[in-house]
Amino acid sequence: MTKIGIMSFAHMHAHSYAECLNRLPGVELVAIWDDDAKRGRKMAKEFGAPFVKDRDKFLARELDGVIITAENVKHRALVEAAAAAGLWILCEKPLATTVKDAKAMVKACKKAKIGLGTAFPCRYSLPLMTAKDMLDSGAYGEVYSVACTNHGQSPGGWFADEALSGGGATMDHTVHGVDLLRWMLGKEFTQVYCELGNQFHKETMKTDDLGSMNMEMEGGIQVSHIASWSRPQSFPTWGDVTMEFICENGVLNVDAFNQKVIVYNDKTKHAGWAAWGDNPDLGLILDFVSAVRDKRDPVISGIDGLRATEVTAAAYKSSKTKKAVKV
Amino acid sequence: MNVAIIGCGGMGRLHAEMAANCGLRVVACADAVRKAAMSAAAPYRAKAFENPMGAIKSKEVDIVVITTPTPTHEKYVLAAAKAGKHIFCEKPFGRSSLECKRSIAAAKKADVKLFVGHVVRYFHEFEAIKAQIESGAIGEAGWVKLYRGGIYPGNAKSWFRDYAQSGGVTFDCMIHDLDWVRYVFGEPKRIFCQALLRKTPTQLDYSQVTMRMKNDVIATIIGTWAHPSGFRVKVEACGSKGMVQFDSSDAPVSGEARKTASGPTMIVPMSPVAVSPYQREWEDFLGWVEGRSVPRVTAQDALRAVQMAEAALQSAEKRQPVKL
Repeated sequence: MTKIGIMSFAHMHAHSYAECLNRLPGVELVAIWDDDAKRGRKMAKEFGAPFVKDRDKFLARELDGVIITAENVKHRALVEAAAAAGLWILCEKPLATTVKDAKAMVKACKKAKIGLGTAFPCRYSLPLMTAKDMLDSGAYGEVYSVACTNHGQSPGGWFADEALSGGGATMDHTVHGVDLLRWMLGKEFTQVYCELGNQFHKETMKTDDLGSMNMEMEGGIQVSHIASWSRPQSFPTWGDVTMEFICENGVLNVDAFNQKVIVYNDKTKHAGWAAWGDNPDLGLILDFVSAVRDKRDPVISGIDGLRATEVTAAAYKSSKTKKAVKV
Repeated sequence: MNVAIIGCGGMGRLHAEMAANCGLRVVACADAVRKAAMSAAAPYRAKAFENPMGAIKSKEVDIVVITTPTPTHEKYVLAAAKAGKHIFCEKPFGRSSLECKRSIAAAKKADVKLFVGHVVRYFHEFEAIKAQIESGAIGEAGWVKLYRGGIYPGNAKSWFRDYAQSGGVTFDCMIHDLDWVRYVFGEPKRIFCQALLRKTPTQLDYSQVTMRMKNDVIATIIGTWAHPSGFRVKVEACGSKGMVQFDSSDAPVSGEARKTASGPTMIVPMSPVAVSPYQREWEDFLGWVEGRSVPRVTAQDALRAVQMAEAALQSAEKRQPVKL
């Protein structure tokens, strides 16, 4: 039995990860720690695992690995503590809010000889995996340009508090597109231009809620990416991940979460989309558990988290300097 | 009033039809390809010219419609102004802002009306989007995205395939969206553009723009001449209280023939409307010519659109933003 603990339910993805752990055979969610004891106790009840208030006591329990789903800026301290305790780690994205932190985390895990993974579940989305297979088949030839979006509704809470999140929608939603393209095309980002701002939520938050980026990858691939919290509360779903690949032999489009039924409900007076696609989180958690068991790095490593953080940092730098900057 | 069509391609024939619908007489059709001039002239029993200057100078002509390749616009505008004719020039106004400025000066000097066909301002869906934004339906607008294009236009020998003449999708096609964004959100501050401008192994162009407006709105604009077929327009505007979306592929009429003789082609999907945007554009132009009204789009607007497209291509070359 592989024993996994969860550190913090600040990030809503923790709910899905906990469900995955409870669904998978040969894994046990053995303990929950949270610096918000009220939330931790509630989650412990919901997912049937004991809540441990003291962090050191939590880390001293019989654990093989931890999933860290705290606020972005707390990732580093928790990763360093878990690494020191010799535990395998899956850290929520973005791995860190600064390149310095991300590098320190990768270094600490290497030193402790433990595996560090970054939670980029989109790599386990079947529509995106299918698109990668289509590109890899060679049928589409060389990729010239890509237009990506990762829109969302405003998550509010700590996400909109720079002291905890390190930034807004650009911090939250750049890394998905960046990691997907690094994975799908096997190339690194070289240059980033970004216009960002608080375009929709001036009354309720101070961080940016949209970044419009133009980026370059090795070999001169031209990429646009929109990271946003632009979707209004009345939008029928949480948001999207879309990509249009302009290739030598054709065009490939992916709308990763466009497996849905449209629901018109008089109670809510609102049309909604009910998703029926497979849950990509399951693949992510399965790989992490296997990595813990086999004492290897998760497929999506800390280095992947670091590379994505480097691009986000370049985007923020570009928006300040008003120039395209090298990654 | 009598109309001369200079350049009898698709747009020339379309404008001849719109002019005729407005009750004008199409009296001259000019094209360097004699067959094109003759077939455009036939339905109106107009005179066919191989030399555009002959048609422009023709005494019975009151209005000159210029639907030739972009780099030739200026010389025909100048000739028409000199001949004292009113001018309807297809977009892009010119291949450079300098050409546009000389055209504006010539029309002013000759005291003739010079109109540039930025027809997107007259499209019903674009009017509806603008009306929603202005009614406050989405709150304060913060971001707009426009997407336009499809298959690369023209045959292998077409001037569209010469980037020096057409400027590719950024200059010829995206200019519609550059103009519309400025129309709705005001002056731009800076622009960043990535453009493919490929010739080999297949000619295709794909252009991605991020533009910051003076009022802080951010615009993301994508233009494509990189698709294997079709034509599509998508618009999305998001604000503090909502968003408005349009997608031309979600159309009221759609059909697919089992067999087509010519294979894939550039089909502009047009939802049926009682008065087409091109017709409305003509009515607006004529209202101005007849002194009844001021048009929705001015030559100055068209010059600004050319300046924005020029800046975009400059940015694409420098791989850095360009101030406007």
